[in-house]
Amino acid sequence: MELCGRPIITIRNLEKNFGSKRVLKGIDLDIYPGQIIGYIGQNGAGKSTTVKIVLGLMGEYTGEIEIFGENISSGNVEYKRKIGYVPETAEVYDNLTGREYLTFIGELYGMEYDEADEKAKKLTELFGLKQVYDFRISSYSKGMRQKLLIISSLLNNPDILFFDEPLSGIDANSVMVFKEILAELKSQGKTIFYSSHIMEVVEKISSRIVLINEGRIVADGSFEELREKSMEGSLEGIFNELTGFKEHEKIAKEFVSIVQGVDYYEGV
Amino acid sequence: MKEFSILKFLDKFEGIFERFGIDYPIMRRILQVKLTLDGRRTPTAMINSSKKKKEEENSLFKSLWFYILLGIILIPLVIAGENYLFQMSLVFGIVMFMMTITLISDFSSVLLDLKDKDIILSKPIDGKTLSVAKTIHIMIYMFYITIAFTGPSLMAGLIRQGFLFFVIFFIEIFLMDLFIVVITALLYLLILKFFDGEKLKDIINYFQIALTIVITIGYQLVGRLFNINDLLNVEYILKFWHYIIPPIWFGGPFELILKGNQDFHVIIFSALSIIIPIISMVIYNKFTPTFEYNLQKLNDNSGSSKSKGNGFNRLLSKIVCSTKEEATFFKFARNMIKKERNFKLRVYPSLGFSLIFPFIILLTGLKELGLDRIIYSKAYFSIYFIGLIVPNIINTIGFSGNYKGAWVYKTAPLNGTKAIFKGTIKASFINLILPSYIFISIIYMIIFKGKIFIDLIILFLTLLLFVIICFNLATKRLPFSEPFAEANKGEGIIAIFFVLILGVLAGVHYIATTFKYGVLVYMIILIIFNIFAWKKGFNVNLEG
Repeated sequence: MELCGRPIITIRNLEKNFGSKRVLKGIDLDIYPGQIIGYIGQNGAGKSTTVKIVLGLMGEYTGEIEIFGENISSGNVEYKRKIGYVPETAEVYDNLTGREYLTFIGELYGMEYDEADEKAKKLTELFGLKQVYDFRISSYSKGMRQKLLIISSLLNNPDILFFDEPLSGIDANSVMVFKEILAELKSQGKTIFYSSHIMEVVEKISSRIVLINEGRIVADGSFEELREKSMEGSLEGIFNELTGFKEHEKIAKEFVSIVQGVDYYEGV
Repeated sequence: MKEFSILKFLDKFEGIFERFGIDYPIMRRILQVKLTLDGRRTPTAMINSSKKKKEEENSLFKSLWFYILLGIILIPLVIAGENYLFQMSLVFGIVMFMMTITLISDFSSVLLDLKDKDIILSKPIDGKTLSVAKTIHIMIYMFYITIAFTGPSLMAGLIRQGFLFFVIFFIEIFLMDLFIVVITALLYLLILKFFDGEKLKDIINYFQIALTIVITIGYQLVGRLFNINDLLNVEYILKFWHYIIPPIWFGGPFELILKGNQDFHVIIFSALSIIIPIISMVIYNKFTPTFEYNLQKLNDNSGSSKSKGNGFNRLLSKIVCSTKEEATFFKFARNMIKKERNFKLRVYPSLGFSLIFPFIILLTGLKELGLDRIIYSKAYFSIYFIGLIVPNIINTIGFSGNYKGAWVYKTAPLNGTKAIFKGTIKASFINLILPSYIFISIIYMIIFKGKIFIDLIILFLTLLLFVIICFNLATKRLPFSEPFAEANKGEGIIAIFFVLILGVLAGVHYIATTFKYGVLVYMIILIIFNIFAWKKGFNVNLEG
């Protein structure tokens, strides 16, 4: 794996508890500029929690996080100026129009209204949202909302991007556009933190894959490196192997047999 | 986006905000978005409809008239005399109570909003700036409402007590609002510290319910208990616990400045009325970062709700329902009634009211007749007031906060809507009406020494019948299928009609008691009616 320069994000021994439940059990991670990191793991493995802590949305953790060489626990929020974020459960102010929302977000990043408006207008046009730019977001389809969120995360020309399942609900054509955008951003030296459950996409776009399981990193490296260590040919296979999951066929058969109302199951 | 004049007013204080380390332009922008959103709180059904333009008006401003009207009751207290400490403590007691209710029931959602956190705090925005924006957002509305509520008495005070009085009153209102908002926020913080988010939502819910009951009943009683002239003649006697009653603090400055009363306790009260709001503000300022983090708990539904009584639910459904479909909807409705907070908020206050009302009537009778004679009277007919809850329940059962889930009715292969309605109505009867009936019956049985047993059975049968009558007369909606915003539209008249029907049923019962065996005959007639009604009463056709 080629490493250039100093890490842009450093995470050291990150731990987080929810009540008595330990969600993160010591995450160590160095992230370098110009990488697309596929951050994968099962539901509840701790992916979103990591991202939220890094973004300063969640407190009361232990460990060290440095972004652009500065510890984020200092309370200085300036580092967020160079970060873009598409959350998994996309909250937006539904009753604003696309224009109102995007200019608001732009201004939160410290842009001028006109600058944000012009940029947002051009970007929405390219994403095919021109007609609905002045409509309320509540009338948008799921895919349109997702596109809006992607645009809002890029308005400020960030150096680091956190995408949490950014493609959900987006049509195939736009997915292709989006993947190209990612590649282009990467070549511009941006760092992209990409978490998703769709392994095919992660496999294709990521220059580095980090697999988290039960609050720990269990694999870290390029897809080729992971494949060498494993018997499996696809990321999906590697994922299942590393998370100790081998029973998908058995479960599927049992599932269908229950759907069909067969009372007994004889096993494979 | 619209420019708000209140924000221009706020601009004058930019320097103060900046001094507290707040990014003023950003805070102003957040407030502008928030105020715009408030003006657009329209039910989803009406989005992009022609009505849109009209709805831009903030609905709050319409309700301000209501507060102005309510505020008239404060006028006598303000102009009555010059016993300032006493009068103004009373005024501030009422105002604080009203404003706390308003704050908790209407603005908790603003304070506890989680959207803000994800959208705004992921940007380079200081948590403090967001918190202050939220607080100012609430303060703006609180201030509008308080000014509306105290408006009449402010004017009356200006005319009767002079300009200085007016100024003190005005400044203190501001301090009081600050105090209430901050204390409420700190209270929520405390609850969130020890409990999870679901608990807090429940606590707020029950708080709302309790306060609605208090207001409704309070207004019934206030006329009887309150005699201002008597009160004003009372000599003020200082008790040590007065130092911890906030409304009394706010009475202090009037006494101190207008009357020059420099007693020790007056000075202390005056000082507290200024210092405590400021101290609480400072404390709040210190805790706000914690507040935002703890808010996250609202989203963690880690505590899985134990499904206790599931077996009982099933057993009950088998006993009271004749078909399987009906039992399904019975169980469904029971779960919804138990868990939907919005529904509880609509129904529980009137449920509490219908529980207390029979006793209020009975007490009036007791005063006149005395305990010995009331036993042999027909005062037990006051128990019929319990039936007032029925129309409310039947009307509310069609609404839900999660009305969008109602698509399942359409996709499920159901033969008509009979089972849906029958199951739901049975569930609401058993969950809401039956417990109240049993509770009141036991107490009445004790008071009337068991002589009204058959009458109570008749009441039970009447309630059963009344449910069907209400159901058939009310607008029919699939259970939990429409948003609450659509509720209460021109159905007030029909509610009066329902009350009349209940009155007629009670009247027939009364007549029956005047004949020998009349009660028994009436009971048998009611049973026959009920059998018929519960068989035929649910054959309804829903269009669409």
